Amino acid sequence: MTVVVFAQAAIPRDIGLFEFLFGAEYWTGAGGILTSLWDTVVLCAAVVVVATVVAVPLATALAHHGRGELSVTWIVTLSRAIPTFAVAGLLVPISLRRGLGFEPWPIFIALLLLALPPIYLNTYTAVKDVDRGVVDAARAMGFSERHVLFRVEMALGTAVILAGVRVAAVQVVATEPIRAFLGGDGLGRYVRDGLGQNNDNLLLGGAILVAALAALTGVMFGLAQRLALPAGVRRLARPRTR
Amino acid sequence: MSVVAQAANPIIRWEWIVDEWDQIQEALIQHLELTILSVSLGALVAALLSAVALRFRPMATPITGFTGFLYTIPSVALFGLLVPYFGLTRTTAVLPLAAYTLLILVTNTLAGFDAVPASVRDAADGMGLTPTQRVIKVELPLALPYIIAGLRIAVVSTVGLVTVASIIGQGGLGRLILDGLRRTFWTPMTIGATLSIVLALVLDGVIYLIGRAATPWAQRARTT
Repeated sequence: MTVVVFAQAAIPRDIGLFEFLFGAEYWTGAGGILTSLWDTVVLCAAVVVVATVVAVPLATALAHHGRGELSVTWIVTLSRAIPTFAVAGLLVPISLRRGLGFEPWPIFIALLLLALPPIYLNTYTAVKDVDRGVVDAARAMGFSERHVLFRVEMALGTAVILAGVRVAAVQVVATEPIRAFLGGDGLGRYVRDGLGQNNDNLLLGGAILVAALAALTGVMFGLAQRLALPAGVRRLARPRTR
Repeated sequence: MSVVAQAANPIIRWEWIVDEWDQIQEALIQHLELTILSVSLGALVAALLSAVALRFRPMATPITGFTGFLYTIPSVALFGLLVPYFGLTRTTAVLPLAAYTLLILVTNTLAGFDAVPASVRDAADGMGLTPTQRVIKVELPLALPYIIAGLRIAVVSTVGLVTVASIIGQGGLGRLILDGLRRTFWTPMTIGATLSIVLALVLDGVIYLIGRAATPWAQRARTT
């Protein structure tokens, strides 16, 4: 029994690049670009949310208590070295043997490993680097430990923490397309099908979609980063001369 | 897939490794070749870019910005974009892989030169070294630990990305992963994935040792 069925999209061999990218019939329907886009976005969003929920509290707690300094050095080195494709490849057999299927666990875990380090590192540095004078002042003003943590350390670190989430999100979106080569679908499927069917325009179109989504993710998180800054911090961050 | 079939398909079947050793060896060598080619090309370009950025300081920001932009292009997309122009060739694999190494190599090289204390630079000038001599005999050796640290990360991440290059038919350990997947036979997948991780660790260790040998004074400073 063949398990990896590479879904044959109903895309003609002689399709033009613009015809594919702007043709409504290729966006809608099962196997359409919108469905693939949704698959990708849902998986990536889940990965980034889980990574944030895990890494931010952990890094904040450790940095607040001044512990785990060594973890930072380790993670800096590890973060660029995670071979996502190999990790997902190792997990596929395990997942199948447990009856969990090709998707989404192997790719989810592999992407999670990719997303955790930047968020952890930025949160740790953000909380650690908050001016100790400000923290002492907050304590002197009678802030409870919890308020020091949430209203001072995390609030002042918001920009850096969000920058970590952005880096993680962009990397996850940029790496997710390998899922199409590991028995799944998602936006990477057009690159895979283009390669498999020797269809250059489909391949190019797919590559453009993948790159565009990664770029868009970076831009959107950049905007969110600006909007999410606490008003007081935003005022401080604004150049004085204006 | 039925339970019976799964039982006959263990994560790893040791006989296969012995029988298919030639294939494994070939994949390993291809992987190594692609890694070395890509990192060498990347290091060459990074050296040029760093030299420009160091000589003409205002260029530093656009150069690091450009390498940062390259780094964010998804690998699957970059391979895909180049296939129509270079075909399913080694060039299509090496160009993106080299491009991805630029960010870390340039960043670390610049950081290394920036870390040279101004007093050391002044002392070199005071001793009558020409600017070229100063850069080669004083600044470069002092920046070397940073450059090597960047090289280690570049090599390790390239080994990981070479597995992805198997999607454009360039062999390497990723091909074993894809093969195993296509045939739902787990042994090659496990071997390919494990060996690519082992290869990354080994190369990291090798460059670390080369770096140690190249900067004996750093060890002396640490021990005294």
